[in-house]
Amino acid sequence: MNHGAAPPVQRGLARLALTVVLCYAAVALGLGYWQGLQAQALTNDPGDPLVAALRDGPRGRILDARGTVLAQDATIGGVRVRRYPQPAAEPAVGYWSPTLGSAGLERAYDADLSGLAGASPVDELLRKFGASATTPLDVVTSLDMRLQADAVQLLGQQKGAIVALDPTTGRVLAMASTPSFDPGRIVAPGTGAAYLASLSAPGNASPLLDRATQGHYTPGSVFKMVTAVAGVGSGAITAATTYPDQPGEERSGFVVDGFRVVDGHHDFTGDTALDLIQATEVSCNIYFAHVGLATGAAALRDWARRLGFEAPIPFDLPTAASQVTAGGGPLDGFADDVELANAAYGQGTTAVTPLQMALVAATIADGGTLMRPTLVDAVQTAGGTVVQHTTPQVWRQVLPSTQDAVLREAMTEAVESAWGQPFAGSAAIPGVATAGKTGTAQLGGSGEPHAWFIGFAPAAAPRIAVAVIVEQGGHGGEVAAPLGGQLMGDWLRLGP
Amino acid sequence: MWTLRLAFLGLLYLFLAVLARSLLRDLRAAAGRTTRAAGVLVVIAAPAGAPPVGATLELETITTLGRDADNLIVLDDPFASNRHARLTFRGRVWYLEDVGSTNGTWLNGRPVQGAVAVGFGDEVAVGQTRFRLEPASRA
Amino acid sequence: MTRMLGRYLAGLHFRPRGREASLLLLAAAALLTGWLSLATTQAGRFSVGDPVLLVVYLLAAGTIHVLFVVTGRRTDQVLFPAVVLLGGISLLFMSRLPPTLVTQDAGPLGVLTLAPLQLVWLLLSLSVIAALAIVVRRDAWLRNYKYTWAAVGVTLLLLVFVFGEEVNGVRLMLRVGPVAGQPSELLKIILVVFLAGYLAENRPLLAGTSLRIGPLDLPPLAYLLPMLAMWGIALAVVVVQRDLGAALLFFAVFLGLLYVATQRPSFVALGLFLAVVGSVLLYTVEPTVRVRVAIWLDPFAQALGSGFQIVRGLYAFGRGGLLGTGLGAGLPSPDGTLAVPALHTDYVFAGVAEELGAAGAIALIGLYLVIAERGLRIAARGADDFRALLAAGLTLVLVLQAALIMAGDLKLVPLTGVTLPFVAYGGSSLLGSGICVGLLLALSDAGVEAPAPPSPLTRGERWRARGRGVAGRLERAVR
Repeated sequence: MNHGAAPPVQRGLARLALTVVLCYAAVALGLGYWQGLQAQALTNDPGDPLVAALRDGPRGRILDARGTVLAQDATIGGVRVRRYPQPAAEPAVGYWSPTLGSAGLERAYDADLSGLAGASPVDELLRKFGASATTPLDVVTSLDMRLQADAVQLLGQQKGAIVALDPTTGRVLAMASTPSFDPGRIVAPGTGAAYLASLSAPGNASPLLDRATQGHYTPGSVFKMVTAVAGVGSGAITAATTYPDQPGEERSGFVVDGFRVVDGHHDFTGDTALDLIQATEVSCNIYFAHVGLATGAAALRDWARRLGFEAPIPFDLPTAASQVTAGGGPLDGFADDVELANAAYGQGTTAVTPLQMALVAATIADGGTLMRPTLVDAVQTAGGTVVQHTTPQVWRQVLPSTQDAVLREAMTEAVESAWGQPFAGSAAIPGVATAGKTGTAQLGGSGEPHAWFIGFAPAAAPRIAVAVIVEQGGHGGEVAAPLGGQLMGDWLRLGP
Repeated sequence: MWTLRLAFLGLLYLFLAVLARSLLRDLRAAAGRTTRAAGVLVVIAAPAGAPPVGATLELETITTLGRDADNLIVLDDPFASNRHARLTFRGRVWYLEDVGSTNGTWLNGRPVQGAVAVGFGDEVAVGQTRFRLEPASRA
Repeated sequence: MTRMLGRYLAGLHFRPRGREASLLLLAAAALLTGWLSLATTQAGRFSVGDPVLLVVYLLAAGTIHVLFVVTGRRTDQVLFPAVVLLGGISLLFMSRLPPTLVTQDAGPLGVLTLAPLQLVWLLLSLSVIAALAIVVRRDAWLRNYKYTWAAVGVTLLLLVFVFGEEVNGVRLMLRVGPVAGQPSELLKIILVVFLAGYLAENRPLLAGTSLRIGPLDLPPLAYLLPMLAMWGIALAVVVVQRDLGAALLFFAVFLGLLYVATQRPSFVALGLFLAVVGSVLLYTVEPTVRVRVAIWLDPFAQALGSGFQIVRGLYAFGRGGLLGTGLGAGLPSPDGTLAVPALHTDYVFAGVAEELGAAGAIALIGLYLVIAERGLRIAARGADDFRALLAAGLTLVLVLQAALIMAGDLKLVPLTGVTLPFVAYGGSSLLGSGICVGLLLALSDAGVEAPAPPSPLTRGERWRARGRGVAGRLERAVR
């Protein structure tokens, strides 16, 4: 096919010119994206240690609720170094090193602490012109160092975590995770890298892990409160619900699809069919297995989700999501009724974080209202002018307070009543009505079970809710409950 | 100092702006299809030797004359300015204008002011170089 | 010898170049202001610093302008100032980087560090531009020996393959004594020369007859083969040299010239298809390509590993923002190491964008667009197809290379190893770009040159004639 003479080059050149212009237009758009839209995010990204290092301006302080300094700048030999006067506040406070990166609140609030968070894009632009127009801000946490130090001391050398919060506001009063580390040694120039490496070495009990927010543990019997919430909330059970077969099953075991749910640790209840409150007092596995099956897989997960399960809890620090089941099974994620029954009393594939269980206790304490947990009360200038203030926020109304009253009573009886005494009695605070629930999470195999305790006090008008876990500590009632009670008691005794 | 930084950026853009202006001008000219027009200039007298006497210089719709290398017809005449004169073909008439020369442009011995019509056989003087406008031959 | 000199002297006319002069003055003003800004930032208060390098550079540029005026060729007046401005920005940027980044023992000049070395290369490049713009008046040596040139190119490739040195896993450098260079820069130009000659010669046939395969128009087989050979060479370059950028550039230039020559979108479509096929092939076969693609898609996933450079580059862009941090105020380099690896070569764009902001970076884009416009206009005004294609090709080599590395720095396309012409550090790059611009200027001459008077051949000329005969026989053999 002959098209005749070739067309003049000029036309082709014009089109070529257009292509070139288009290429450069794309480049210009890319420039606009990275230097316009993403500029702020990139500059404030703490992931680049070099970037952080060269923000060598002053850095704000981190304080507890009463003004105790948790982190501040110090100049040693002309070099600006970070100081951490209260190592017990780790790992919540974290650390900040010019070369080794950052963690904890130092990382989460890096933009405010280093003063790089501009108030508006115009400020951001003008700031680049000024010599040092950064305003490092102080971060005021809701922690109370007295309680925090107490919590750390109570845990002692054991591996575990304690989370204590105010159920009416959601403010976290103490967050301990042991074993912990000394942030001062990390930021020390010279020796920091070696120390950090030793902390991360395998077999070293992971001191850098924040067990309170990211530890994943089998909950054992403390999960029964979640089942109770689901059962009462969905209407599957009421406070008076009993299971006539239950006393018999205490002896023979409760067979679910061939799997035998056993209990037998409260023989003294005899042939009485337990109701909800009584079952909570003695922590009856069989009762709660029944409740779980009655509630059903979907409803159990649904109510758990309302309490914050199955998603990372929105918090000032990164959190891990707690789960009711590992999922993937045909029964709404559960493999079968056996797993559902096991999950109902906190075994199976349930895994929770201490923060999540503290929120469960706080919800029950606060009449069924789940408050958003917060660690930071305010961000303010060095002079005290508040730039940002956290107001307590209702996250969800999980249960109406009428229904919640039953659960509150159940937990109170679990500590205070005669039947509850052998189990959670060690958490009782002298002279104060205490509410709580213990848990002994069997891990399968030959290891010791996790010792759990969740609770709140005073039972009528709670001012503190806690979750305590001692990893492989043994019985919850023997190991975790005394810690929880002691901590709550100390808080109530502390003045403002 | 931010003044210096802004000044640097500003000068960079000034450079580009200067170019953009002339680019637009050229594009407009190209869009106006600057093609060979129906006329030529025959050199009558050229003191500097270039363009050579008797040479026939083709004209376009807009033809610039001057010493600067940018002109369509470049004169090596010391009495000619860098940008001396412009011959435009509009409608069916040739127009001559002086674009700001030192010694002026002359048509048939008279100074040119504004845009003057030029006919075939007329003599144009730029500096010491003289041309005659002739119709394009059909060769 | 004297006859040659006489011939050239006869071509001398004194022609003022007003536009070039005013643009150069503007560029000089901008560069001096930039220098003041840099020195002030570095000193902490208003300071003039030590502008020796910049002054030498500007004086050289001025001298070349005078040379152009004296030799009186009617070449384009905008290209040179644009190049001078780009080179000046490069000098400013190199002055602000740690000087010990690159050192070279320059014999009698002592040991030169980064900025002085860049100045030396810039001066050489400018000299090449001037030389080509002034001396090259005929294109026969390019036009008539395209197969010879192609042979030279292939030889160069083989030389690199056999004797080349590996730098960062890419075999790019050829070392001859103390001097090392990247022949791929020359290869690009040789490729353009070959393509221009080939396409110009075969244009009517290529655009006219075609092979019909279904709905596709394919060029006739005899002419398809050299083009496929080009594609094959591009792939070979990647595999042998692991130089992804050069291959991409070769191919893009090839497609561009093909389109200009034939104006058949179907040919370009075929070419793009081949490119896709080639890319997929390379992806599956070459692990380095896979790594490049992986860190292009998500560099933050390997922020401390292979994605390190890209992540750091992006941080540099972010720091720049809209107006930049100011010359000299970009992320300083602690203890002589760079905040972004290869900041003086691959990532110059990021560095300039950091210090001058998006505003400055867009000005830089503007300068390359200026080069593109002038180059393509020279092509459009070309006296014949060969000149047009040659000019277009040379322009594309410069301009597409710039766009490619800019896009790579911005994570729009995978990062390739090409350098930003005239701004990045590197002798080979500067010389190659200088040859392109020099030839463009030579092609832009709007004047009509009197033919050379006949004269008996000198000994040198007799040798050249013999060489031409050999090459000519080669040409005829290939045809």
